[in-house]
Order: sequence, then structure tokens, then C-alpha cells
Amino acid sequence: MNKKIYRNVAAVTAIFAITLSIMLATNYFQVRKATPLQTEVAETLKELNDMNSENPQLQEQIRQLDLLSRKAYFIGENHLKTGIYLLLAMIGVLIAALRLYFNDVKNIPDKDLDPFDDWLLKSKSRGYILWGSGAVAATALVLAFLSSPYYTSFKQKKDKAASEEMVAEAVVPEEELSTEDEYALAGITREEDTSAAADTTATEATEAKEGEAAAADSTAEAGPAEPEIPKVTHNGFRGNNSNGQSSARNIPTSWNLSAGTNIAWKTSIPKPGYNSPAISGRNVFVSGADAEARELYCYDIFTGEMKWKLAASGIPGSPSTMPAVNADTGLSASSVATNGQQVCAIFATGDIICADMDGNKLWAKNLGVPDNHYGFASSLLIYGSEVIVQYDNDSNGRIIALNLSNGNQRWMKERTEKATWSSPTIAYVDRKAQLIVMGNPNITAYDPNNGDLIWKVDCMSGEVGASPAASNGKIFGANEYAALVAINGTDGALLWQSNEYLPEVSSPVASRDWVYVATSYGVLASFNAETGELVAEQDLGCQFYSSPMIVDGKLFIFSIEGTLYMFSNNGQLTLLGSIPTGENTYATPAFTDGRMVVRSQNSLYCVSSL
Amino acid sequence: MKRFLTSLGLLPLAGFLAGAVDRFPRPDFESGYQYPEYSYAVPNEMLWDIIDVSVLLILLGIVTWALFKKRTKGPILAVSIVSVGYFGFFRGGCVCSIGSIQNVALAFADPSYSLPIAVFLFFIIPIVFAFLFGRVFCAGVCPFGALQDLVNVKNYRLSRAVTGALSIIPWIYLAFALLYALTRTRFIICKFDPFIGIFRMGGDIGVIGFGILLLLMSVFTGRPFCRFLCPYGAILGLFSRVSVFKAEITPKKCISCDLCHDSCPVDAIKAPYGNKTGETPVEGVKRIVVYMAVLPVLMLAGALIMRWSSPDLARANSEVRLYEMVTAYEAAMDAEMEPEVEAFYSQGRNLGELEASKDAVLRSFRLYSTLAGILIGLVIGLKLLEMSLKRGRKEYEIDYASCVGCAKCFDYCPQNKALAKASVQNPETDR
Repeated sequence: MNKKIYRNVAAVTAIFAITLSIMLATNYFQVRKATPLQTEVAETLKELNDMNSENPQLQEQIRQLDLLSRKAYFIGENHLKTGIYLLLAMIGVLIAALRLYFNDVKNIPDKDLDPFDDWLLKSKSRGYILWGSGAVAATALVLAFLSSPYYTSFKQKKDKAASEEMVAEAVVPEEELSTEDEYALAGITREEDTSAAADTTATEATEAKEGEAAAADSTAEAGPAEPEIPKVTHNGFRGNNSNGQSSARNIPTSWNLSAGTNIAWKTSIPKPGYNSPAISGRNVFVSGADAEARELYCYDIFTGEMKWKLAASGIPGSPSTMPAVNADTGLSASSVATNGQQVCAIFATGDIICADMDGNKLWAKNLGVPDNHYGFASSLLIYGSEVIVQYDNDSNGRIIALNLSNGNQRWMKERTEKATWSSPTIAYVDRKAQLIVMGNPNITAYDPNNGDLIWKVDCMSGEVGASPAASNGKIFGANEYAALVAINGTDGALLWQSNEYLPEVSSPVASRDWVYVATSYGVLASFNAETGELVAEQDLGCQFYSSPMIVDGKLFIFSIEGTLYMFSNNGQLTLLGSIPTGENTYATPAFTDGRMVVRSQNSLYCVSSL
Repeated sequence: MKRFLTSLGLLPLAGFLAGAVDRFPRPDFESGYQYPEYSYAVPNEMLWDIIDVSVLLILLGIVTWALFKKRTKGPILAVSIVSVGYFGFFRGGCVCSIGSIQNVALAFADPSYSLPIAVFLFFIIPIVFAFLFGRVFCAGVCPFGALQDLVNVKNYRLSRAVTGALSIIPWIYLAFALLYALTRTRFIICKFDPFIGIFRMGGDIGVIGFGILLLLMSVFTGRPFCRFLCPYGAILGLFSRVSVFKAEITPKKCISCDLCHDSCPVDAIKAPYGNKTGETPVEGVKRIVVYMAVLPVLMLAGALIMRWSSPDLARANSEVRLYEMVTAYEAAMDAEMEPEVEAFYSQGRNLGELEASKDAVLRSFRLYSTLAGILIGLVIGLKLLEMSLKRGRKEYEIDYASCVGCAKCFDYCPQNKALAKASVQNPETDR
């Protein structure tokens, strides 16, 4: 009788445990896969909020959705834990029931599974070991081969060939989104609608200011809260690696410099310069120079206060009289570079200085007065523990890597190129870094670790002012009176070239699929990165010296006249908005999460909605 | 210093906790709410180290006494319950002798790593006992073995040909555990410990599920983890094979009743065998000679395969993975930034430094993968040789490498029962 009970209890708990296990396994994989904060609805709402950050109802909706998602996730996880405990209890009952059931039968000897022949068993075991080991070894070899560089490179070539074949054979019509649709989706006002929206903006600005004032009062009561230090860096000219892209998010797309809307601060820079700002942590770096002094400045990104300045003075070999420079270049056209521990600046005198984050001078030296008829303008680039200087001048041209900690030369390569105003960039090809340098007549790839030549392509001419761009293993270079070229970063093969729109000063930028070029006569053009086909063009009736940046899924570019244009980064150049500032702007803005720092001809300011 | 050493031992747990904390970004509160600072209580580990080692010694002593003096499984069952309760549920399965292999290996390879003394003792004491008395640690002191024994209801025997082949897995597991420990990648024995989640009532649900599966298997077959996975058991088996004192099924003459053979949950009792193979001695010798010749080839093949696989194996290393993520991001910055990449940039690190670090890890992996491959080749070769040896047995014998000292055979042996009865009648006969 008891045995029957034990058997039935065991059977019921076993069924229960198996059913529960299946349910838990299903739930486990659901919970594991879940990305509750990245639902399509949430992402869409956040995008809308990015476009128009002054909609409190939308923000409340996002908060509610966020809270619900978090609750749902943790409730699911708690259910899973409770289920596990229940399963353990069931297993305990099952084992107890089974033990009791088998209590009086366990002394009965089992029949051997194997016929007892020790030698036969050993022979079988040997066979299993040999076959099993062989199979595992073969699998390991296949996997090792599949992930080997030879196979990866072969597969990439094959995929590329197949993709080119598909492009050639098939014409896939792109689903076009009308401009109006895009505006509606983004919630952005076009330039021609600006006047109509001006009243609304002004009202909103007033409300926002009142809100800020109220918030300030409450903050004053609670004590000042330390703002979060931005994580995304912008280490030099055109961002990290100088490639024109930034991973910053939530860049305000609606602001007004003169009214101060979404302007965190605005300040003046003591000495002039055409160089672009760099951002690392809460520091903003720029440089400035005139005949009296060459200086490096550090500003606080939250307040705009100057934290320190460092003069490039007392440097052996520094010229007592300034070299002749063009007014469009000046003595401080080269942008600074930082890695968050050191910051370096170079001037048209050939003086290079390096400081720590507190403004203490680490080292300074003169590289020789540049023999340059417009004035030295190449920006610095930091790679690893070295700062790289493209020193292409009319004589004694070279590229130099200096040790960041003491300024000693790591390596140097002589260059026969003519004077160049282009800046170096770092490209990643097959996960290896390449130092890409443009000059007349070559675009050259060096190994940034030792300066070894990787490849060189003779494709440029004229006075090279623009800098190269790179994406997806391809290198792009362009210059007026030469061509826009695409080069295979693996072997330096010329993939395509185009002569339709060429930049004079502004550098091209590339995403995976598109290359964008801004000309000095106001045309912004996009090209297919694979084929070089002109995809779209926009004549904006202005001039571009500043370089375009791809940030937060959009293309940002300032005209010399000081209007910021924002385009969609889909090759179609759909204008998402434009913001006139009234201040001439030559430099390329710097980006970090929620903030954009702009150097205009007269000032330095930070756009932020935070 | 002591706290520091203990902290190192608890690194895997800390990693898990850190991961759990960062599952979500923190919500933004507009009310001005300030998040409290994380604070972790520093445990009084010195005291607990002493208690742990003392309990280990006491339990080992009880099991040894039960096996060699008392010859009964009762005390071992009691030790199993205490071990599961104390080392398992109360102490959460840490420090654990199985995982200590990794700490000891890392301490040998990396002088900058300080080995906690308690971890070293947990590693060495069971080995000393194994050298003296056999695998008494496995009998009931190890909470993993004890837990499997406690849930065991009935032994359904597995094919000995299969279990013989599977016995190389613990060595392969050991090779990989050493590889990942020596390269400072992770302690995989701890990470994939199937029972720790059960003892702690929490952790990775996948690993807990694996632990439950093992327990379910343990209900119907003896100690699957100990036999087919445990790398420490494999090491103890080596010492147990040559132990100074060896337990015997019965001190009296074996009557070949087969009961002990049937009772053994880990199939460590070999039945009498006439050694009639149908194969000439010359053929047998030839096979052994061939395997001995093949042994270096297997070691070389293992070394080469593991060396070629080392770049893939190294992808488990955080620096290598981070390098892949950062370079992938640098190549296509349109993509969503992974939190690891964001942290990389926010720490002010640069890719040149990361690449140098990654290259150092890859070099380390090349070296240790080669050594691990040699070990795997050696184990396979030696196993093949062992399986080629012919030896007859006149009576039931214990395979001391496999015997976990559970003492079940003692209770099944009718000769022991007769002895016990005689001992009750005449205490002088009690051994």
C-alpha cells in the first residue's frame, strides 16, 4: 500500500517537475533575450524627443513606458526565481518518494549492461576514444580554419564580388520618403518655416526659462548637483581618429545663439585661431595665437569658464619673428589633440607643446620653422602613446611620431610631397590601424606604430587642404583640381574616382554606404561609397570651410556664414533643419553626449539642452 | 593583506555582482533623489578561513576513520549531510577544492598573484589525504559529491565501454581550466560550477539548470559530475592510485557474491576476469608499442591544434573581446555603441594601448594553449595505453583511481556483516 503511495507521489512530482522545467526554460530564454528598454515604441519616442526636447508630455510618456518596462522585466525575473525554488522543492519530494519506493529493492543485484568481457570493453573504449578525439580534433581544425585570416580574407573578397555582381545586375528601387514626411517624423521646422515658428519658439523659450528658474530654486534648496561628466570624447580635429564621426547622442537640433536657447554658455577666446575644439571629460581645448604669444586654452564644458591657459614660450629654436602666414590660415590653424591625460598643440612657428589635464607643461619643442607659403595648418593626431605630426612643407617634409610623455621622437619618415594643409587620420582596415596621410601627389598609408609604408597611391594634385576619410575598410580622399577617390585600404587599389564635386578646405566624411563632400562654393554632395555614383546634391548658396560630421544619425555642417545645416545620413541629403547663428564659422564643431561645442570667428560656445 | 587575498579568491562572485548591478541603466529621477554609494561589508574572512580548514580536517578525519577503522557508511552519510549543509548551503560552496586548482596554477605562473593560504590548504590537504588513504575527500567531504550521493536513489549502470572513454573528459576540462586561469581570462571551473547556484539559491539560471540536470541524473546513476567532469577528482585519482593505505572491501576472504560490484555507484569495483582475449600476446605487445610510438604524435597534434585554435580561445578574454568591439566600432561608427566600448572611451584608454594588451594576451594564449594541447594529447595517449593492458583478476578488486570511498560496498558485503555480527558477540575480533 505504502509503495503505491510513494510511486504515485513520485509520478505526480515527476510530471510536475518536468512541466515546470519546460515552462522555466521557455521563460528563461524569453527573459534572457529581452531588451525591455529598447523596444521599437520606446526608441521611436526617444528619437522624437531628441528632435524636439521641449515636449513634457512626450517625456512623461517615455518615463511611464520606461517604468513599465522595468517592472515587467523584474516581475518576469522574480517569477523565474520562484519557479526555480518550486522546482527544487519538487525534486526534493521526488527523490524522497523514490528513495522510499526503492528502499527494499535496492539490494537486488542488477543485470550487467555489458556482457562481462573486460577486454571487449577496453577495446570498445579505445574505439570510442579514438573516434571521439578524432571528431573533436577535426571540428577544432575546421573552426580554426574558418576563423583564420586566410579564410576571412577569402570570404570577404567573395562576398564583395557577389555584392558587386548584385549591384550590377539588380536595380533595387529605394522607397523614397518625401521631405515633408521626414520633417513630420523628425518634428523639425524648416528654414523657410523659421519665421512662422519664431513666436512659438520665443514662448517656449520663455516657459523654459521660467521652468529653469524654478528648477534652479529647488536645486539651490537641495544643494548643487554635480553634473555627469560626458563620456564620449572628441579627441581632436573631426573627432576621435580624425574621421569625422562621433558616437555622441542627443545633440540638440533646436537652439538659438542670439536668444540663448539651449546655449549652455558662450565665451570669447583670448587669441584668434582657425583650429577646432577638442573635448575630453569636462575639458574643452582650443588654441590661439598672434604675434605676441601662442597659447593653449582649457575650458570647463559645464560652465565655459577658462580653467587654465598655457603659453608656448621659452622653447629653444622658436623663431623670434613670426613666419609670414596668410590671413586665412593664421598662426594657429592646427587643431589640438588630447587623449584625456595629455593635450598637445602646435603652431605655425613649429612650436609644439604638451600639457597634462591641469595645464602643467610636460614638454615643448620646436620642430623647425615650417617652410609653408600659407602657414602651417595640419592638425595633430594622437595614436596610442604618441602624437603624430604631418609636417609637409615646401622643404624638409616629414611625418613624425613623438612620445607623448616626453616629446622624444618615436619614428620619422621623410616625405617628398609638396606643402600640404591636410591632417592625418587613423583608419581601421581588417581591424588593423593605418595612418592615412594626404599630400600632393600621394595618399599614403603608414603603420602608425613604426611609420612603415603600407601603400601609396598617386592620385592628388594642387594644394591639398582637405583631409582623408575612412569607413568599412575604404579610404576616401578629395581635393579641388584633383578628384574624389576611393581606395581599398587592404592593398591600396584605386576603387573608383569622381570629379563632380571637390572640396577646397572642408574634408569629406564617410559612413558605411555614403561619402559626403562639401565644396567651398556651397554644394553638399553625397556619393555611393561602393560605386562612386553621385546620389544627391544640395546647393545651399553658401561657402563651406568647416568639415561635415556624422553624429547621432545625422550630418552636421557649418557654413562660413555661420549656419548649421542638419541632413539625414541616408545619402539623400534630406535637409532636417538649419540654424543661423550670425557668426562666421570656419572650425569644425566638437561633440559629446547632449552637447556640441562650436568655435566661431569671435567666440566659443556650447549648445546643450542638458 | 589578508582581505586582499580573500578578495582575489572572490573575484568571480564580484564579477557576477557587478554584472547584475549593471543590467539596466539607472533611472533618472527628477525629484533630486541621490543614489546611495555602494558599500560592501568586509567579512571577517580570517576567522572563517580557520573554521573552514578546521571543519575540512575534522570531516576528512571522520571519513578516514569510518573507512579504515569502523568500516561502515553511517558516519560518511553524516559527514555528507554536514558537508552539504556547511560547505554547500552555509558557506555557499566557496572556498572549494575543485576551484582552488586555478588559484594554485595562477600563483605558480604569475608571481604577482598572491595565493590565499586557505585556498592553498583546500587544494593540498585533500591531496595529502588521497596520497595516504585514497579519495576520502570525495567520499562525503566534498559538498558536490555529497549532494549527488544524497539524492542517489538507484544505480542504473552505464556501459563501461562508454564510461571508460568518458573518463578522459575531466582531464580535458582541467587543461582548459588551467589555460583560462593562467591567461588570467577567467576561472571557468567557478563560472560553470553547476552546484554553486543551487547552494546560493541564485546565479546564472543556465548553470543552475545544468546543476539540476546533473542532480536528476544523480538520482539514477552515481555521481555523474565526479566521474565525467570533476578535474580535481582526476588529480585525486592519480594520488589515490598510489596511496599508502588502501581500503579493502572486506578483510575476510571474498566469496565472489557480486554484491559489492553491484553496489558501487561509480563502478569502481572490478569483477574477476580470466583474461581470455582471443588475441595473441604478440598482437597485444604490438598494439602497446604502436600506442607508445603514437603518444608523442598525439601530444604534438594536440599542441598544434590548440595552438591554431588559440586566437579563437582567446576571444573569451575581456581585453581581446574589447579590442574586437572597439575596432568594429571604429570601423563603423554608425553602429550602436556597446556599453563596454563606452566604458573604454570614458576611461581615457586608447586603442594603441589596448592593442598591445590584446597582443600580450594572444601571446600568452599561444603558449598555454600549446601546453594544454600537449596535456590533452598525453592524457588520450595514456588512456589508450591503459586500455591496451591485459590483466586477469581472481577476485573482486577496487579501482582506487575511481573509488570515491563512499563505503557502500562495505554494507553490501556479507562477509563484513558476518564480521560485524562476530564483533558484537566478541568485541576482541573487531578490527
